[in-house]
Amino acid sequence: MASISSSYNPREIDNTGDIPGRRAPLITGNQTYTSVTEMVCRVAEDPQPRLWWILFGFSSLTATTFLMLIVFLIYKGVGIWGNMSPVFWAWPIVNFVFWVGIGHAGTLISAILFLFRQNWRTSINRAAEAMTIFAVICAGIYPGIHVGRAWLAFWLLPYPSLNLWMWPQFRSPLLWDVFAVGTYASTSLVFWYMGMIPDLATYRDRSKSPLRRFIYGLLCLGWTGSSRHWLVYEKAYTLLAALAAPLVLSVHTVVSFDFAVSQLPGWHTTIFPPYFVAGAIFSGFAMVVTLLVPMRAIYKLENLITLRHLDNMNKIILATGSLVGLAYGTEFFMAWYSQNQYESFTFINRAFGPYWWAYWIMVTCNVISPQLFWFKWVRTNVVAMWVVSIFVNIGMWFERFVITVTSLSRDFLPSSWGYYNPTMYDGLMFFGSFGVFLTLFLLFCRYLPTIAISEVKGVMSASDHAEHQQAEVLAELQGKEPKHVGHAH
Amino acid sequence: MNNSEHKLKSNKEPRPPKACGWMAEFENEHDLLHAAEKVRDAGYTKTDAFTPFPVHGIDHALGIKPTILPFIVLCAGLTGLCTALLMQWWMNGVDYKYIISGKPFGITPASIPVSFELTILFSAFTSVLGMLALNGLPKFSNPVFTSAKFDRATNDRFFLYVDATDKYYNRESVRELLSSVDANSLDEVMEDSTPSEMPRAILLGALLLVLAGLIPSAIVLNMRSSFSDLPRWHVFFDMDFQPKKKPQQTTTIFKDGRSMRPQVPGTISRGQLEQQDPFYLGYDPMKVTSLDTDKQIYVSAVDSTAASPSLDATVQPPAASPAGGAPNLPFLDKLPIEANEENIKLGKTKYEIYCSACHGYAGFGDGLVAKRAASLAQDTWAPPSSLHLDRVQKQPVGQIFHTISKGQGKMASYASSITPQERWSIVLYVKALQRSRNANIDDVPVEQRGSLTEPTPSQTK
Repeated sequence: MASISSSYNPREIDNTGDIPGRRAPLITGNQTYTSVTEMVCRVAEDPQPRLWWILFGFSSLTATTFLMLIVFLIYKGVGIWGNMSPVFWAWPIVNFVFWVGIGHAGTLISAILFLFRQNWRTSINRAAEAMTIFAVICAGIYPGIHVGRAWLAFWLLPYPSLNLWMWPQFRSPLLWDVFAVGTYASTSLVFWYMGMIPDLATYRDRSKSPLRRFIYGLLCLGWTGSSRHWLVYEKAYTLLAALAAPLVLSVHTVVSFDFAVSQLPGWHTTIFPPYFVAGAIFSGFAMVVTLLVPMRAIYKLENLITLRHLDNMNKIILATGSLVGLAYGTEFFMAWYSQNQYESFTFINRAFGPYWWAYWIMVTCNVISPQLFWFKWVRTNVVAMWVVSIFVNIGMWFERFVITVTSLSRDFLPSSWGYYNPTMYDGLMFFGSFGVFLTLFLLFCRYLPTIAISEVKGVMSASDHAEHQQAEVLAELQGKEPKHVGHAH
Repeated sequence: MNNSEHKLKSNKEPRPPKACGWMAEFENEHDLLHAAEKVRDAGYTKTDAFTPFPVHGIDHALGIKPTILPFIVLCAGLTGLCTALLMQWWMNGVDYKYIISGKPFGITPASIPVSFELTILFSAFTSVLGMLALNGLPKFSNPVFTSAKFDRATNDRFFLYVDATDKYYNRESVRELLSSVDANSLDEVMEDSTPSEMPRAILLGALLLVLAGLIPSAIVLNMRSSFSDLPRWHVFFDMDFQPKKKPQQTTTIFKDGRSMRPQVPGTISRGQLEQQDPFYLGYDPMKVTSLDTDKQIYVSAVDSTAASPSLDATVQPPAASPAGGAPNLPFLDKLPIEANEENIKLGKTKYEIYCSACHGYAGFGDGLVAKRAASLAQDTWAPPSSLHLDRVQKQPVGQIFHTISKGQGKMASYASSITPQERWSIVLYVKALQRSRNANIDDVPVEQRGSLTEPTPSQTK
């Protein structure tokens, strides 16, 4: 069984071409149910590669630094950050929106692509969902520690705050945010967990040690794979997907309300909800590519996470990146078309004011770099796509920086203009949040099923009846024109 | 639970484990579907299949009915919606009304985001928990787990199971039926005979954990229901301790070691003018030489460092009041206002409003109140002075002003009713009245002297 993947060179078959009516196989290498189980379970069962330990050592150190900095922040106060009049919403909110945005890919892949019957999602949804939850954890930390008195952060919830018996103000977008992000985090968590139950049962049944069997046995809640259970399970999964699809769109809409409902030029626009959602999907898919490209190489999962999966994701990055570019253009157009002098000033100030460098980094990374994905060789080259995905991550952070800081630093009153400078703690804490993210992701690879085994098998079974057709396509791919199948028509 | 363990445990049991049903193993889902149809057609209903992934068509092949989960989720979603709407209406519209731009209380378009999110939240959790409840999960003890072969049900094998509780169940006929299908193997499933009681150690541990978990709440309850003289226990300092200096504390920042700082020279504090300017006092406070009430007020009001050199040396016991308690103060003997017709008229008006009731229109102390009091002949009544008495005539203008301001004997203070300007005008008018009572022919302008007649008896009184 183990020989299947080792004898196979993923570059041999190009399954990235989509011939309408004759789909190339989703997973390659003549996989059987047994070999799929083997390939995924091996990730958690085999000793981890040295690279895992190096990365884990580095990331856990960074995460610990982050936690210590949080303790220092609570002890000393938010004054250690560079937040200063007039920019009181600085890196903390930028990092919050950055991480929440990244957290959109997972649920989008599991919910929206599920409803659209995009079977290629099965190989990547689990890792993307895990990434979503870890990103939302990183995001949730920032508002919690930015409230000043972090030990009273629970006043964000509908709680009659001490001595005043005062409830939260339900007209505030910041409160909507608490509900939206809270619902998103908890729903994503149960969605992720429910999806893992059958795979945790697989882990349990393959466990050699009693302790491992006991722990996975507890986690999978005694799953047997009963068809009566599967039927309810699939219904619940469909319901969750149908519920999570509007939810994922609502979350970044509500995050954009934090800005759009205010009166500040550059924030007070109706384009923000769709613009933010497009940006969130864009950054989320970029982060999935950033994580999956090394992961499939380290754990030799190229047969399950094939070039076709990466190619599809890159197409989504290209589409959403262009949408984001369109949104930037629309903002400028509206600034001119509205004939509002404050609005016009804000946008000219963004591109040519003191923060011009941030603006042009944003445009380069978000609008120009994904255009490379028009070329198929970039879309199917792992190194190239990884580099572009990193650029997109950088660009999307700068987008939030530009929106937050340029609008705040120069508003209606020139006498109160200022220039924002971050401190060492801003930088270290942002860096530290990556440590938390990476640590959680590495632990996820180490202990939990990184690929939805049962869903991949389900897709294999569904395509069984088209076996003949697939063999034909495979023969065509391997035989005649292996590299140019996309241009055959 | 693996087989060897199962056998070890079952040796202790007196009776052999009961059979629960038959289980057939298949290589792929197609064989399973065929077999399932056969079993269904034979009339068995207590059947199940165990597969690594959801096999499509198995519900039909086994005769499984659709689930009611969607209706449960719909109810949960509506509950979430109602909860959100009620919560927002009650919290912001009833219990604690927020007035924001005059917008209506209760449900507004601003309630949509939270309502949407809670609808999703309730539905999503109900989907998952409802799925688990309908499937009877978590269930850790299951007869199918007694077979080691079954481990492949989550990997690459497909199992068909007929339960012994089926009404048509017959051990031999089911075995025959399942032998006729293309199964890899056929096994009888035995009940899970491991003891079902919880081990005592786990129970004890759980009990200890629960008890330990109660300790913090017990401490909090105890603290809330008892009194203590100790200062509050500060988990978080909030703003209770601030790095700042309070009055009367020492400091190392300043040379004099005092946390309080003197005023900058030339500072005029609020109300200071009224306590320093002769216009408001009737005397010059800078010339006060004896310790008395006014001086004490003055000393406390003026910055000590600025005024002390001239005062400290001149502290004396209070001087005896020469005229019925009037203080010995350096009264002004010149009016601070101009003696013109306008001020005289103002003084006359105010005198007649405030003073004439007792002192009389001409200042003889024969006002209506005085006359009435005299007619009642009350012992406690001290008659108002005539303003034409010798000692009153000799008083400097400042003292008259002071008397109006502070009162004298039975006379109350008029400072709150009459402004300083008006008081000085009254003083001017009083001085004019006094002068008119002691005038001689030289005071009359020469051209009007001829019009004077002999004094009438009432005027000489």
